[in-house]
Amino acid sequence: VSTPAVTVTTEPSGSTIAVKLAGEIDLANADDVAQAVDAAITNQSFDAIIDVAGITYIDSVGMRYLFTLAARLNTAQIRLRFLAPLGTPARRVIELSGLNAVAPVDPPLG
Amino acid sequence: MPHPKQPEVGRALPFRRPMNDATQTKDATGRLRQIEALTDSALAHLDVEELLSELLERVRDVLHVDTAAVLLLDRASNSLIATAARGIEEEVIQGVRIPVGRGFAGRIAAEKRAVILDRVDHTNVLNPILRDRGIRSLLGVPLRSQGEVLGVLHVGTLSPRKFTEDDAELLHLVADRVALATQARLNEADRSAAIALQNSLLPGRLPQLHGLEFAARYVPGEAGGVGGDWYDVFSLPSGRLCVVMGDVVGRGLRAAVVMGRLRSTLRAYSLMTEDPAEVIARVDRKLQHFEPGEMATIMMTVFDPSYDTITISCAGHPPPVMARANDPATVLELPVDPPIGVFANHRRRNTTIEIPRGAVLCLFTDGLVERRDATLDERFDELCQAVQADAPDAVCAAVMLRMVGSTTPKDDIAVLTVRRTDDSRTAPLDIHVAAVPTSLGQIRVALRRWLATVGATDDDANDILVAVGEATANAVEHAYGAAGGVVEVHVDLEDRDVVIRVRDSGQWRAPRGEHRGRGTMIMEKTSDTFHLIRGENFTEVIMRRRLST
Repeated sequence: VSTPAVTVTTEPSGSTIAVKLAGEIDLANADDVAQAVDAAITNQSFDAIIDVAGITYIDSVGMRYLFTLAARLNTAQIRLRFLAPLGTPARRVIELSGLNAVAPVDPPLG
Repeated sequence: MPHPKQPEVGRALPFRRPMNDATQTKDATGRLRQIEALTDSALAHLDVEELLSELLERVRDVLHVDTAAVLLLDRASNSLIATAARGIEEEVIQGVRIPVGRGFAGRIAAEKRAVILDRVDHTNVLNPILRDRGIRSLLGVPLRSQGEVLGVLHVGTLSPRKFTEDDAELLHLVADRVALATQARLNEADRSAAIALQNSLLPGRLPQLHGLEFAARYVPGEAGGVGGDWYDVFSLPSGRLCVVMGDVVGRGLRAAVVMGRLRSTLRAYSLMTEDPAEVIARVDRKLQHFEPGEMATIMMTVFDPSYDTITISCAGHPPPVMARANDPATVLELPVDPPIGVFANHRRRNTTIEIPRGAVLCLFTDGLVERRDATLDERFDELCQAVQADAPDAVCAAVMLRMVGSTTPKDDIAVLTVRRTDDSRTAPLDIHVAAVPTSLGQIRVALRRWLATVGATDDDANDILVAVGEATANAVEHAYGAAGGVVEVHVDLEDRDVVIRVRDSGQWRAPRGEHRGRGTMIMEKTSDTFHLIRGENFTEVIMRRRLST
C-alpha cells in the first residue's frame, strides 16, 4: 500500500506478521496507514512486529493509532513489538509519548 | 513603515490636513463620521477582531498616529488582553496581558480616564513591545459600555508628540463608537457560544430502551439569552437509569458553562453512588467549593432496572407531574430540599415511587409554570390537565400547546416526558456492538435491565450475566485481529427459558492465554444447555437457562 507520503510493507512469516512503515504519518494519511496495518494483522497471528525505523515524521494522530493498536492486540492476545533504532525520529516520539510503556520497543531503553 | 501622518498619494480620503483649531474640529467631525460609517451594516458580518482591526486602521488615519491597539478586559483574570492592533500587531500575536492597575493600559482601565504619555519609558509602560517598537508618545482612553470598562483603546507615535486635550476628546468619541460596536459583537458571540454549548450538552437523541419512551422540548426565553436549563438521561453500570432535570440561576454563557459543569459532575458522582440524594449532596459540595455564588435547582430521578419504581430527590426544583393510565394527572408529592449552592451540608431526602405500566412522568423547569398573570396552583392545574398517559411526544406537544401557546416565554423552558410502556410481553433483547472490552459493560447494563423486566431472580440473573459475559468476552478476545469487528447478543424468553445467542463474524481460533478453556467450562455450568457452532466466518454460542419461580 502506498500513499503520497508513506509506505506500508507487510511480510507474513508463519504466525508472525512484520509490518514496515516508512515516510511521514500525519492527520492526512493516518487512517490509510491504520487500515493497511489492521488488515495485515489477523486474529491468526501470534506475533506482530512494527518496524518504525523508516518513519521520518509521525504526529499525534499517528501515535494515537499506535496506542490503539497496542491496546487492541493486547486484548486479542497477539504479541506486539516495535522496532525503533536509537536516534531515529520515531524512536524519540515513542519515548516521549510513553508508547514503550504499553508495548516492548527494540532496542530496549538503556 | 510609511508614516501615516502624510496621507498616502492616491488614497482617496475625505479629509484635509489640519490648518487651525477651527478647521481641525470640523475636520475631526468629518473624520469621526468615518468611524461611524464603520459601524454600519456593511460590516455586520465581521467578528470582534476583524471589526476592531478595521476600526483601528481608520483611527490611525483620523488621529495621524503610527500605532493603534485595543485591549479588552477579561473579568476572570482582571487583566487586559490585546485583541486588535495596527502598527504593533505583535501585541495580539504574542497575547499580551496587562493587569488592571499596572502599566499604561492598566492605569487607564483602573482610573477610567484618558492617560497621555509624552515620553515612553520603562517607568510608565509595562509592555516591552511598546518600548521595543520605538513608540515615543502614547494616548489611551477607556472603552466604556453602560458605565462599565470594556477595555482600553490606545494610539502611539514613533516620533515625540504632545497629545492634546482635543486629541483625547476625539479619541473618547471614537472609543464610544468602538465600545458600542464591540459590546454588540461580544454579546452576539456570547449568545452564539451559549447556544452552541447548550446544544452540545442537551442529549441530541434520547436513549432507545425497551420499556421506556422519552420525548423532550427546550425553548429559550424571550430575552434571547440561553439560560442554564438542562436535562439528561443516562444509564448506570447496574442497569439503573438516571433522568435529571436542572436549572442554573442566571442567563447567558456563564449560566450555560455552569450548567455544563454541573451535568458532568452529576454524571461522575452517579458512577460512585446511585443514591440521588447523595449524588446531589456531592454536586452541591463541589459547586460551593469551586463555583461559590452559583445556584441551581436539580431533580434527580433514578429508575430501578425493572422500571417498577423510581427514587427521586429534589433540590428546590418544581415537582414532576405523573399520569397513570386512565387516571387524571397529579403533581407528585415530594419533600423539597434546598437548591444547591446555598446551604452547607443540608440534609437531602429520597422518595421512592411506584411507576405502573403505561404511566407518564413529566419533568420540567420553572419557566413552564411561572407566569405573572396566573398563580402557581392555577398553572399546575393546567399542566395536570395537559398531561395524559399518552405517547411522550404527544404529551410534550399537548403541554407546550396548553402552557406556552403562542406567547414567547419569558424564561427558558425545558420539558422531558417519560412513559413506561405497557407491553404484556417483554420484547427480545438485541444488541450489536463493537467487539471491544468496553462493550462488555454496556451489554451487562442492557441484560440486567432485561432480566429485571422478565422477573429473573438474583441467582438466575447472576448466572446468565456470567454466561453471556464469557461468550461475549470470547468474541472480543479471539474473533478478530487488529481490525476488530462486531459481536451480536440476542436474548429472548421461550416459556420460562431464557434463550441466549452470542455471535461474531470472525474466524474461529483456539483460545489463548492463561485462562484457556475455562470460559467454556463456566458457560456450561451456568446454563442448562450449551452449544458452540463454528462456521467458516462466524462463531455462535447458544445457551438456554430456565428461570426459577
